[in-house]
Amino acid sequence: MTTMTFNNTCFEKLHKSEAWMYTNVSALAKTEFAFATTFVDESIIREYDIAPANPLIVLINGKLHEEASRLCDGVTVNANHALQGSVASRGDSEIPSVECDTITIENAGKQTIHILQFVSGECPTAASGRVLIHASDHEEVSVAETHVCLGEETHLFMPLTEIVAGKEAKVTLVRAIRGSKTAYQLGQLHVCQEDSSNVQTHTITLAGKCSRHEVFAYLDGEHIESNFDGMYMLGDNQHVDNHLRVEHNKPRCNSREFYKGILDGNAKSVFTGRIYVEEGAVETDAMQTNQNIVLSDDANAISRPQLEIYNDDVACTHGATTGEIDEEAKLYLRSRGIPADSAETLLMYAFLNESLEDLADDEFRRALTGELLSTMPGGDFIRTL
Amino acid sequence: MTTPLLEIKNLHASVEGNEILKGVSLTVNEGEVHSIMGPNGSGKSTLACVLAGHEAYEVTEGEMYFMGQDLTELDADQRACAGVFLAFQYPVEIPGVSTKFFLKAAVNAMRKYRGEDELDAMDFLDLVEEKAESVSLNTDLLDRGVNEGFSGGEKKRAEIFQMAMLDPKLCVLDETDSGLDIDALKIVSDGVNKLRDAGRGFVVITHYQRLLDHIVPDFVHVLMDGKIIKSGGKELALELEAGGYVAFENCGTECCCG
Ligand SMILES: Nc1ncnc2c1ncn2[C@@H]1O[C@H](COP(=O)(O)OP(=O)(O)OP(=O)(O)O)[C@@H](O)[C@H]1O
Ligand SMILES: [Mg+2]
Repeated sequence: MTTMTFNNTCFEKLHKSEAWMYTNVSALAKTEFAFATTFVDESIIREYDIAPANPLIVLINGKLHEEASRLCDGVTVNANHALQGSVASRGDSEIPSVECDTITIENAGKQTIHILQFVSGECPTAASGRVLIHASDHEEVSVAETHVCLGEETHLFMPLTEIVAGKEAKVTLVRAIRGSKTAYQLGQLHVCQEDSSNVQTHTITLAGKCSRHEVFAYLDGEHIESNFDGMYMLGDNQHVDNHLRVEHNKPRCNSREFYKGILDGNAKSVFTGRIYVEEGAVETDAMQTNQNIVLSDDANAISRPQLEIYNDDVACTHGATTGEIDEEAKLYLRSRGIPADSAETLLMYAFLNESLEDLADDEFRRALTGELLSTMPGGDFIRTL
Repeated sequence: MTTPLLEIKNLHASVEGNEILKGVSLTVNEGEVHSIMGPNGSGKSTLACVLAGHEAYEVTEGEMYFMGQDLTELDADQRACAGVFLAFQYPVEIPGVSTKFFLKAAVNAMRKYRGEDELDAMDFLDLVEEKAESVSLNTDLLDRGVNEGFSGGEKKRAEIFQMAMLDPKLCVLDETDSGLDIDALKIVSDGVNKLRDAGRGFVVITHYQRLLDHIVPDFVHVLMDGKIIKSGGKELALELEAGGYVAFENCGTECCCG
């Protein structure tokens, strides 16, 4: 079995840069990682296979598991695609990668293609994932990804995703981080949009010891709609860092960043949402919101909305709130007979569900709601409703 | 003598160290409708919140009993389960859960409290349909977040709908008429009147006599500066309408003016 450490090459110096200020991954530099291909039990795959009627791509430690997958038209593996990597090279991500298969999904239409990426191994295992989502002019692609690190090891998963949306194309990407609470996930998402395209992404973190999700978006045409949503619920010793940079390069585009989460124990969340507006990008409408509920004194939410604007004709708003459960709302529920602890659960659920409600894919939403409720204190009560 | 539905004796309550209620006494028997009127800031909502069990308000003196039971011994949710309902002056918005969803939790919590079985989904929805119709509430609203983006009037109507769903013994309505147009006022009042029966009592807080044309009270009380300074029949509301509160300003508890 091949193993290696990343040594001082990247992880140690990362923490010293401004962009990684609040996320320290230097421990990874000393970890000895394996890069083994391995098997994942059929039953585990089925557990996470939430939409058996839809196409499915299963990747284990970055390699396609063909027998467990249900490939369809529009999906290719390791095709020598012209676009491959071209968008990613524009971003300034410092996350390294290791060799893996490249999945290309092109113009697959309305049906949701599910991707299940596992990282598994007897010892700490590092893997990358590479998914390119391409919608040509007027085409549509919808992808639902689930990332699962298995077991109690300090696995490291470094998924890279690219979205290219042509003129009037529509791309929806929902991603959920589920599974182990001991793994690291360092992910990059690069989005490139042309005129009148519409891209919706949603990144949901319900697991992991330390997750960093970078989003680099380039709005290269006019009348573009972009929604970057995120949700997280974390407890003791969990950390999430949502790091976004949305570049408005042309006039009349709307972008929205809407991230919200609940932090318990000593969990920590970092949100950096940078909006960059180019000189000629007039009538830009950009919104960034980060809302946190902290359930304990040790939990910590850091919000950094950032604006970098080079013309006057823009409407950029940002808002960050961090607080406890709303006492007035709690009283309202209690005044209707709902006991205090159930009222709290209901309010937590409502807070996060506001983010899940918009998920277009029913199976995905159902699976995540289920996972959410099994993690949430008192979640069983919600199930009875 | 039967036990009153609600008995408040010399109730003093404060919030953040400020005494707001300064000795309120009020008895509501089953089947009675009491109206409380009084100027802004006199303590009407405070009284309603104290009855509902809002923890920000501290009872510093006096007693309150609901069907003979000391209310101060019950938490807000226990009071609701026992049969106390408050239609809020400013109902909160809770995005992310629908009114239907939240009311199912409420209905079942109350049934559980009373040792009854939970309502199944079908029966619950039937009940929703029936009660929504009684206040002409568009059921589409019930699939939205709780009170989320409701107009002022829709919020009030939704409160009365919730009241009808939960079937309380004591209904406290805090300015349920404000923000209602003339038609809505009639609809909401009709909804309330349908709930009037020999076993239920109402405390209706309002600024306007016109509500009392629809929901005709048995008693009217004037609350000023944390005290009930005058009580009377429904004609008292007309007096107030004509003369304003100024006429009562120098009254003691043994008020004799008017
Ligand atoms: N949380 C609070 N902190 C401090 N003062 C408060 C608080 N809540 C209420 N008060 C004060 O208590 C007084 C009574 O308020 P209350 O809301 O009971 O009046 P009200 O009679 O319902 O008035 P309105 O007719 O305007 O609804 C007011 O002076 C108000 O400012
Ligand atoms: Mg009031």
